[in-house]
Amino acid sequence: MELFWIRVATAMYGVASLCALPAVLWNRARFRTAALALACSAAVLQCVVFAGMAAAHHRFIPTGTHEVQAALGLLIAAAFLLIAARYRTISFGLFALPMAFLLALPSALGPDHYTFSSPLARGGWIAIHVASLLAADTALVFSLLASFLYLLQERRLKDKHAPGFFAWLPPLDTMDRIAQSTLVLGFLCMTLGLFAGSLIAQERVGATYFQDPKVVLSFAMWLIYVSILLVRQSKGLRGRQAMYVSTIAFLVVLSVWAANLFSSVHRFAAP
Amino acid sequence: MNFLVTGLNHRNAPVELREQVAITAEDLPDALAALRQWPGVRECMILSTCNRVELFTACGEQPPDLHGFLAQRFPVNAQDLRAHLYQFRDAEAVRHLFRVGASLDSMVVGEPQILGQVKEAYAAARSAGVVGSELERLLQSTFSVAKRVRTDTAIGSTSVSIASIAVDLALKIFGSLAGKKVLLVGAGKMGELAARHLLAQGAGSIMVSNRTLARAERLAQMFGGQVMPFEQLLERADQADILITSTGSHEFVFRREDGVRMLRRRRGRPMCFIDIAVPRDVDPAMNRVDGVFLYDIDDLQNVAAANLADRSREAASAERMVQNEVEQFARRAHVVDAVPTLRALRGHAEALRQAELRRAGRLESFTAEQRETVEALTRGLMNKFLHAPTQALRAAAQDGDDERLLLLRQVFQLAESGEAVDGVPAPGASGGLHGAQALDTAAARETVREDSDSEGKPGQPVYAAKHTAGESVLKLQPGEHQAGAAPDKLLEAAELELPGIRGEGRS
Repeated sequence: MELFWIRVATAMYGVASLCALPAVLWNRARFRTAALALACSAAVLQCVVFAGMAAAHHRFIPTGTHEVQAALGLLIAAAFLLIAARYRTISFGLFALPMAFLLALPSALGPDHYTFSSPLARGGWIAIHVASLLAADTALVFSLLASFLYLLQERRLKDKHAPGFFAWLPPLDTMDRIAQSTLVLGFLCMTLGLFAGSLIAQERVGATYFQDPKVVLSFAMWLIYVSILLVRQSKGLRGRQAMYVSTIAFLVVLSVWAANLFSSVHRFAAP
Repeated sequence: MNFLVTGLNHRNAPVELREQVAITAEDLPDALAALRQWPGVRECMILSTCNRVELFTACGEQPPDLHGFLAQRFPVNAQDLRAHLYQFRDAEAVRHLFRVGASLDSMVVGEPQILGQVKEAYAAARSAGVVGSELERLLQSTFSVAKRVRTDTAIGSTSVSIASIAVDLALKIFGSLAGKKVLLVGAGKMGELAARHLLAQGAGSIMVSNRTLARAERLAQMFGGQVMPFEQLLERADQADILITSTGSHEFVFRREDGVRMLRRRRGRPMCFIDIAVPRDVDPAMNRVDGVFLYDIDDLQNVAAANLADRSREAASAERMVQNEVEQFARRAHVVDAVPTLRALRGHAEALRQAELRRAGRLESFTAEQRETVEALTRGLMNKFLHAPTQALRAAAQDGDDERLLLLRQVFQLAESGEAVDGVPAPGASGGLHGAQALDTAAARETVREDSDSEGKPGQPVYAAKHTAGESVLKLQPGEHQAGAAPDKLLEAAELELPGIRGEGRS
């Protein structure tokens, strides 16, 4: 039954992605309403399914790759909805909704083959650790996206003969504020997540945990985050430069995910 | 549907003439009352804006002389006036009002003010009590058509004036103008207009800088802003988010290096330069500075031209939309026009039925159950008889086929006003006679008249319904009164014996 509802939610993300095209590119109000309603319904449905699964299996965190991806998809959809409500723009739906769909898709195709089974999964700290880091990743995705769209809009506004195709882009200031606020939010989440993870690791594994490549990369990502924030605050980093820095941070995030394969002490699934 | 529109607008009349016939808001009630009293006018509305003065009227078949009304009311040369007036009737009048409301007839196609002005004119006419059901229907349709055009096309989504394009560009950069500071450099008219637009859109404050301090002070006072001494311009210009320059300087006022310095002081916060001076005030290389967005007069005019072209494309699809709506409105109006005729037909038949029942004296000796049976039988026959002509009337009305409607009215001897020709009224028809009174004065009789003029061919009857008491020539055969049968078939039918009713059976 859970699988059925996951599939329904995934299908809704898919349809919402399609609705976002005419809604954003041609400013069609009906499609805008449909995209928002479908994304909202899918996110709520996913939450209900996750809560049901957590209650049934007595755990608070996703325990397999598919589940983690689906949780990340849910966070991306939720962030998109929050941005739509706060900044009155659904332009991010062009990217966020397909991402939510693709991330939810593996879990809709079938359950994980390998799952992380540990009493840790029932702990509150681990829930904070996982949820915070996933939220930080989501925030960084949106920060990168906003920086990218800022760059596009900046080029469009400077080029007097730019085609009207990019007329849907939100104002520069809106994207700057989104990039800035997601960056700050992401930093707070990442700090909380790493702090919770460090507490658990210190207690369970000891100092050797902090030599693991995934863990090292995670702390590197945190440092990059700090430096981006400092530079932005002091120099007012925008446009192309902000885009470069966000890209670097995003690549580090990807490498943290990839480091899962090389990690001996911190991994979701056994091969 | 009888509408007549007369007026003049920016296309066909010079402002000298338009201003002579313009009607102010104060004079409008009086003008409306006078127009309503004008011979032939049933309902009216006056639309008077800076670009047009138009009289919208609902009238009878005979159109009122609205030229005469204008010529009498305003001290203008009647010949001059007549040369510039246009006039639209019926469907063309509907189309004209739809086009006006949808801003397709405006000087700047797609501008939104005209719909508000039509609404104000309508409200004034309603207050004056000169709007009836016909204009009410027309105006409501106008508003819904205008709304559809605005939502289903992009006719009003782009700006076409230099000042509003400047505002659009600023909005694309800053999202909202709330709290944004505007610096007006120079005291050109266009710069002043752009500044006024920015303030109207919510810009926070304005600073004015000009070589002549007195002019700067005058402008600053007008906008409620501050003066920035021209000598301090380069040092303090970074305080502004939007700069509008329109000086008469022959050299650049702002160079690229100034832009770099200002952006550094602003820690990268974007700046928007609107340079509407010729020769230009801002070095074009300024646009290459990250965070600086520069638009000169050519850029703004190019945007305006592109937006105008967009509007023209959208206007073409809006015109098609309006044409469809006019056709739909005409169809609806025809159906509404046919309602009195339909009522008259039914009322006429019901009156005949009642008359025949009363004439059948033996009914009094019937039991209640028998009387009910007879009642149901005659009503059923009447309904079946009326089905085909009713359908034919409806179809003719929906098709807007006036000739067919007229023929049907003639066949059943129904007047257009909803009253049987011989005085048998339709229920609810105003001015007609009702019930027994009508039957006493116009007794029921139907005859089939052979039309000897019809190329002299016998057997091609033209039917006329005449109703006189005591005679009933037309008789129906069983089976001839079925639903769907044409009225002429029914009228050709032979005798129908109605059991229990004395005399000739009639439907």
